[in-house]
Amino acid sequence: MSYLSIFFQYAGQYLKTRLTYRADMLVEIFSDLLFQAVNLIFILVVFGHTSLLSGWSKDEMVFIYGFFLVPFAIFGAFFNIWDFTDRYIVKGEMDRILTRPIHSLFQIILERMELESLFGVITGLGIMFYSGRQLGLSLHWYDPFVFVVLVAGGALVYAGIFVALASIGFWSDSKTDIMPTMYNIGNYGRYPVNIYNRIIRYVLTWILPFAFVGVYPSAYFLGRDEWYGYAFFTPVIGVIFFGLSVVLWNYGVTKYRGAGN
Amino acid sequence: MDYIIDVKELRKEFTSHSSRSGLKGAFRDLFTRNYTIKTAVDDISLQIKKGEMVGYIGENGAGKSTTIKMLTGILTPTSGHVRVNGMNPHKDREQFVRSIGVVFGQRSQLWWDIAVQESFRLLKKVYNVPDDFYNTHMADVIETLAIEPLLDKPVRKLSLGQRMRCELAAALIHNPPLLFLDEPTIGLDVLVKLKIRELLKEINAKYGTTILLTTHDLSDIEALCERVIMLDEGKIIYDGALRQLRENWGEGKQIQFAFAEEATHTELQSLTHDHLVVWEQGSNASNWTASVENNEDIISSVIGQVVGAKKIADLKIVEITTEEIIRNIYEEGVIRNG
Ligand SMILES: Nc1ncnc2c1ncn2[C@@H]1O[C@H](COP(=O)(O)OP(=O)(O)O)[C@@H](O)[C@H]1O
Ligand SMILES: [Mg+2]
Repeated sequence: MSYLSIFFQYAGQYLKTRLTYRADMLVEIFSDLLFQAVNLIFILVVFGHTSLLSGWSKDEMVFIYGFFLVPFAIFGAFFNIWDFTDRYIVKGEMDRILTRPIHSLFQIILERMELESLFGVITGLGIMFYSGRQLGLSLHWYDPFVFVVLVAGGALVYAGIFVALASIGFWSDSKTDIMPTMYNIGNYGRYPVNIYNRIIRYVLTWILPFAFVGVYPSAYFLGRDEWYGYAFFTPVIGVIFFGLSVVLWNYGVTKYRGAGN
Repeated sequence: MDYIIDVKELRKEFTSHSSRSGLKGAFRDLFTRNYTIKTAVDDISLQIKKGEMVGYIGENGAGKSTTIKMLTGILTPTSGHVRVNGMNPHKDREQFVRSIGVVFGQRSQLWWDIAVQESFRLLKKVYNVPDDFYNTHMADVIETLAIEPLLDKPVRKLSLGQRMRCELAAALIHNPPLLFLDEPTIGLDVLVKLKIRELLKEINAKYGTTILLTTHDLSDIEALCERVIMLDEGKIIYDGALRQLRENWGEGKQIQFAFAEEATHTELQSLTHDHLVVWEQGSNASNWTASVENNEDIISSVIGQVVGAKKIADLKIVEITTEEIIRNIYEEGVIRNG
């Protein structure tokens, strides 16, 4: 049985469970939307009176934010692994995962998915269409395909970084603040990197490449051809980072100690 | 001879770091860490043939669960050779786990929030079990375990006994040729235990399923296993027939006397001085137990000598239980060979 059909089995089960608790789901979608609105207002307020920031207009900034929401929503829907150490290592749930004939990371993705997060895709698309119209952008027939590839790349960057962080749990199950810290760092990716100093720009490009989730791929749609090289590099960075994180994960699994007595 | 489980010199060590106190300690920890190595499983070797039901026993912390986790591919051994169902459990994990079923008494294998039958349905898909086999096989399992009424309840609403029966059913969905059970009956009432034993016997007879079982409850082992493996501090101290264990260790009988008045050790010993009798005091000075060889003449003679001299309120002859045999073995720490 292929992983794809297993995925649909789990997704079906997930929706069934969720629909029996409809109120919870609505609350979650609503709070997601509220969170996105606050972020958008923040951008509008901060960049409202400066028409240009390091060469980016307010509408471009808004567009980048809109793009960022899409890979971020996909990441959020499938990679709820911020509490991996607590839930799977300390509580020993990994024992159960490891006795099932599916790749352990894939099982955790299946078990922890939160499909409501995908509403962020709609919000993101809405914001992009709105600001794109303000900017007078036009679409080519191939742009939707490019979009899918760049979004996948961005989501893989996020997933790679967080899977690598979760893998640390196989070696040490002590409590750290590294997950929330990384969520904060991730937010820097939704602003143009050239507003930061060189070091931060370097980090956001090559070390924790969050710039590939927002500004670089957006540059393609905004027609900022000085960034095209980076834009097209998005899927490559995504595949490399995610691939490395899975290698690290697989190695970590061999170090798993079980719930400590 | 092909073995289903073939283990040689299997070892698992756990390293635990201890941190030094204070700022200075933390600074020193950065460079050299204090650590201790705990050997949970100490170079054990064992072979199990297809269709065997083996009891794996030992005190708390002996290393039973750690062994099972290595045999099921959850933990990577520190060293040693493991082959289970012809595979290396932690190397070909995803392929390997299709050929085993696992039940951990202390930890749920089912999804907490969804109904039992939904869990079963997902597992059926995960293991790719054909519909017709699933229907007949599971109908049987569900009936033996009497879990039909529980199927539409979420796991978190089940009692421990109900949950364990469902766990066992879930582990059998893909009809694995090898089943690992780690404390499956812990905290269960007698009726549930009986149902579980009944099912284990049934699948063993029907499909030749090999079963390795750890338990605290020796009556499980007595009901199911011909062979026991005893573990102590990570080492195997006995591997053989349960019957033999009883013959070598449980050869004697115990006569429990409740006297009408108090008695002393010397007094009783002098009464029975022409036989080999070990006298032990019971709950008070008028309750005494005589351990003697299992021989009718000796038993009669000892009783006659005591009864002739002292007033008796009650008298009982009991066989030494497996429980006591095992306690004796742990106390002596070695196995007497018969
Ligand atoms: N994850 C772990 N980390 C450190 N020590 C462990 C871990 N798991 C087990 N141990 C130690 O290994 C020994 C054997 O444990 P275990 O296999 O659980 O025993 P049993 O199942 O026979 O009660 C114990 O001393 C236990 O403390
Ligand atoms: Mg145990």
